[in-house]
Amino acid sequence: MEFFLQLVLNGLVIGSIYALVGLGFVIIYKSSSILNFAQGEFLMLGAYVCLAIFTSAKVPFLVAFALTLAFSALLGVLMERVLLRPMIGEPVISVIMLTLGLASVLKAVVQAIWGTDTRPYPEIFPTAPVHIGPLPVSQGYLYSLGSVAVLLVLFTLFFKLTRAGIAMRATAFSQQVALSMGISVKRMFALAWSIAAVVSAVGGVLLGGVRGGVDGAFAFFGLKVIPVVILGGLDSIGGAIVGGFVMGILENLSGGYLDPVFGGGVKEVAPFIALVAILTVKPYGLFGKVKIERV
Amino acid sequence: MRCGDFRQTYAEDMAIFETPLPRFLLAALLAALAAVPFVSSSFWLDVMNRIFIAVIAAMGLNILTGFTGQISLGNAAFLAVGAYSTAFLAGRMGLPFPIVIPAAGLLTALVGMIFGVPSLRLKGLYLAVATLAAHFVIEFTLSHWESVTGGVNGISIPAAKLGPLVLSGDRKLFWLALGLTALLLWFAKNLFRTKVGKAFVAIRDQDISAEVMGVNVFKYKLLSFGVSSFYVGVAGSLLAYQARIISPENFPISLAIDQLGMIIIGGLGSVLGSIFGAVFVTLLPEILRLLTGALSDTFPQLQGLFAPLKMGLFGLAIVLFLVFEPDGMAARWHKVKAYWKLYPFSY
Amino acid sequence: MAKNRNRSFAAWAAAAALLVAGRAEAQEIKVGGIFDLTGITSDVGKPYAQAVQDAVALANASGGINGKKVKLIWSDYGYKIPEAVATYKRLVGDEKVILINGWGTGDTLALKDFINAEKIPYFSGSFAGDLTDPARTPYNFFVAPSYSDQIRAWLSWVKRDWKDKSRNPRVAFFYGDNAYGKAPMEAGRRFAKETGIDLVDEEILPGGLQDATSQLLNMKQKLADYAYINVTTTGVSIVLKDARKLGLTTKFGSNPYGFSEQLPAVAKETAEGVTGVVPHVPFGEDVPGMKAMVEYHQKNHPNDTHDALYVRGWSSAQVWLEGLRRADRAGNLTGEGVKAALETLKDFDLGGLTAPVTYTSTDHRPSTKTPIYMVQGGKLVKVAEYDMPRRPDWLGL
Repeated sequence: MEFFLQLVLNGLVIGSIYALVGLGFVIIYKSSSILNFAQGEFLMLGAYVCLAIFTSAKVPFLVAFALTLAFSALLGVLMERVLLRPMIGEPVISVIMLTLGLASVLKAVVQAIWGTDTRPYPEIFPTAPVHIGPLPVSQGYLYSLGSVAVLLVLFTLFFKLTRAGIAMRATAFSQQVALSMGISVKRMFALAWSIAAVVSAVGGVLLGGVRGGVDGAFAFFGLKVIPVVILGGLDSIGGAIVGGFVMGILENLSGGYLDPVFGGGVKEVAPFIALVAILTVKPYGLFGKVKIERV
Repeated sequence: MRCGDFRQTYAEDMAIFETPLPRFLLAALLAALAAVPFVSSSFWLDVMNRIFIAVIAAMGLNILTGFTGQISLGNAAFLAVGAYSTAFLAGRMGLPFPIVIPAAGLLTALVGMIFGVPSLRLKGLYLAVATLAAHFVIEFTLSHWESVTGGVNGISIPAAKLGPLVLSGDRKLFWLALGLTALLLWFAKNLFRTKVGKAFVAIRDQDISAEVMGVNVFKYKLLSFGVSSFYVGVAGSLLAYQARIISPENFPISLAIDQLGMIIIGGLGSVLGSIFGAVFVTLLPEILRLLTGALSDTFPQLQGLFAPLKMGLFGLAIVLFLVFEPDGMAARWHKVKAYWKLYPFSY
Repeated sequence: MAKNRNRSFAAWAAAAALLVAGRAEAQEIKVGGIFDLTGITSDVGKPYAQAVQDAVALANASGGINGKKVKLIWSDYGYKIPEAVATYKRLVGDEKVILINGWGTGDTLALKDFINAEKIPYFSGSFAGDLTDPARTPYNFFVAPSYSDQIRAWLSWVKRDWKDKSRNPRVAFFYGDNAYGKAPMEAGRRFAKETGIDLVDEEILPGGLQDATSQLLNMKQKLADYAYINVTTTGVSIVLKDARKLGLTTKFGSNPYGFSEQLPAVAKETAEGVTGVVPHVPFGEDVPGMKAMVEYHQKNHPNDTHDALYVRGWSSAQVWLEGLRRADRAGNLTGEGVKAALETLKDFDLGGLTAPVTYTSTDHRPSTKTPIYMVQGGKLVKVAEYDMPRRPDWLGL
């Protein structure tokens, strides 16, 4: 029982990071219909940049964190400017490949500057574990879960209540109509990409703190985000969140129970098998809107 | 040079070579290629063999994605199926290559059609993700089915043989690779003059309309997966004979992305595009390697930067092509040809 | 404009060709290097590669091989077997090297048929037991006790460290999902049975490992007292950190690619009490062979920190440089000649950097002396040394 609970807890924490990355992906898709496969690289870049600012500028961690968020916001705007404009009207595959190409470039830049060694992360969370029932839980996990929960609530409120949020939803629904209503669509796109980059950067820093280090493998989270958003539905923010947690738990449970049976490697395959199973029943994901195609 | 389009029969309209000159040039090119192994170093022979394999695989992917519009990220996995089938048929069963290569292709075609079944319900990104899942499932199977595949340690493949003829080494394998590539490309070019090929293109352009007009969309989608996977299986078979030792590491997901990059850079829906893209993407790291090697005396840090440079240049090439030349190198080639065709009156 | 683009492309191609064309060929001995600077073992691959290059540079500066300079032609293969194979083809087919200093287990095993056919002596950073039997792998060499002897030595230490007489100690193996990870496992399984140790669990650590919690939880259920981790330093530190989070009391040990001065630096206080096999002395240890190395280091890399991995690469290069010297004196500077020369090495002394090296035509195990060190107060301290017998049934395992 303890084994099961530990796995679930681990899954929740990793799942919260997946949820963050998935959130960024969905925000970009909802507002600009672009599938951004470079989300994982945004996460990795956020973690590295924060560490770099913290170690070289010797500022308090929170200041480095804030600067990282600013950097990510700028990065998001830059990406949108470079990528979005030429991609209007291009087929899906071109869009996917463009962001994949961008992901390669970002990975290469990180590797060229910081190499492939694991860089140790400073202790942002106190190390003494807290006990929930029979389980020792590291405080880092709790902070991570907590921050994600707070962010998710904030975003839901943002999209429901603020002017900018509603404007973004309007743009996602129909660009033409939003334009005619006086909404600056270009600004909405830039805003979407900034938010997505910032959200991923937060995920990256949290992950770095929880792991105790950062290395190039963080970019793999980008690959993992695909089953997450498909499960949740490409255009559903709530879906991305639910999908993230489900995937995290699923991964850990299958790793814990099935790895000994198959001799390892199940953890990586299980989310995708689950994904295919879901797609056969619900092709647009749990909460996604069904696309009606017209000739 | 001709000017003006002047066709009087249906055959003329469907012809691939409009004048005798391209036919002659193509024959000359093939003859020149056939002479390469006599003059080239073993490094470049290795590169050229890898280019042939990439061309066949890219052509297969182009049939599926460029001509039929089904996005597939499973190419690396299908290459693996072709390669491992070859390891089994040639290594374990000792069959000669004229049997092994088509058999590997057919086996891969079968696997491809099985993984093509989701295409009935899924489109676009969702189909891409289903094929991505196929990749991981196949990779998992290959890593764990140790009795057949040797697991993570890999498996070795004997040289291609047919009775007393043994194609050991890149030099001897070159002609087989050249012949297969030429044959398969010729077949692909002709495929799209037939009813089947046109059905594929119809599905890409407007599948609902195609269905309404009587094209059995599911059957042709599956057939597209089958034909495409056959090509990729043959490429995988050649890869096994060339590399002589394979392991799941030879077929990571980045390989599938590289191949998608090849057809995007080369040009979707074009046989010429598959060739250009494959050559470009395969040559890029080799030229980079030569450059870093030559410059490493003056800039010693370059050797350590080779890996990120390789990755970064590939990504940059894709981004630049997509932004400035979205229809690929084949489109640029045709534009250049058109310019020269009417020179100096091209206005 | 198409015309301009065509012209500038031609210009670039010509420039590139010119750059490549000019290559001087003096009286040189060409040796190849296949190293990992960016792949999953780059944390230990980088210092090793640097050391090999430095050893060659120092040898050239001190007169070369009987007057001839050694040219080390190397590249980074990122721990990917296909890259290693392509690099190998280039080194042997084009550059015509007569010896190669490679690295990883998977690629060394993959290349063994090629090097046998083409007769190229191959020194690896891999110490897999499969490479020690000249009847199967006549051209493979390495400079350390094999991974199998290492795990046997560590298990011997476990037997000595275990104080409870009422039952056998319980041991778990953690290893990576590749040839390197699996190399010593069979030897470890058999030896554990022989010496009365209960092997209760085996866990696989996938490449790109971020989190070992599920594997550790599995092990916790089996109540292992000790665990041997067979990955590299990065993987070991992840396991140690997660073990601390779970409050485990298992004592961990590792092979020499997981255990070095880097481990306490990366894993910090979770590395306390961890043991490891250390066949090459830590950098700066007081042995005669260290002097030349430290001098070179001060002169050329005063700002780098060097460690036992550096000592490892240096030792490997010293051995094959000696092989080249002997082959040259015998007038037979070919792959076969170098192999024969290497097999004349008997108790070749490396000044204490590692145990003396002996190769024969029937046994390529260079040495079997295996020191065990422990991290105490953030430093590596020697706690035991085992000399595994050269049993014939262990040759090639």
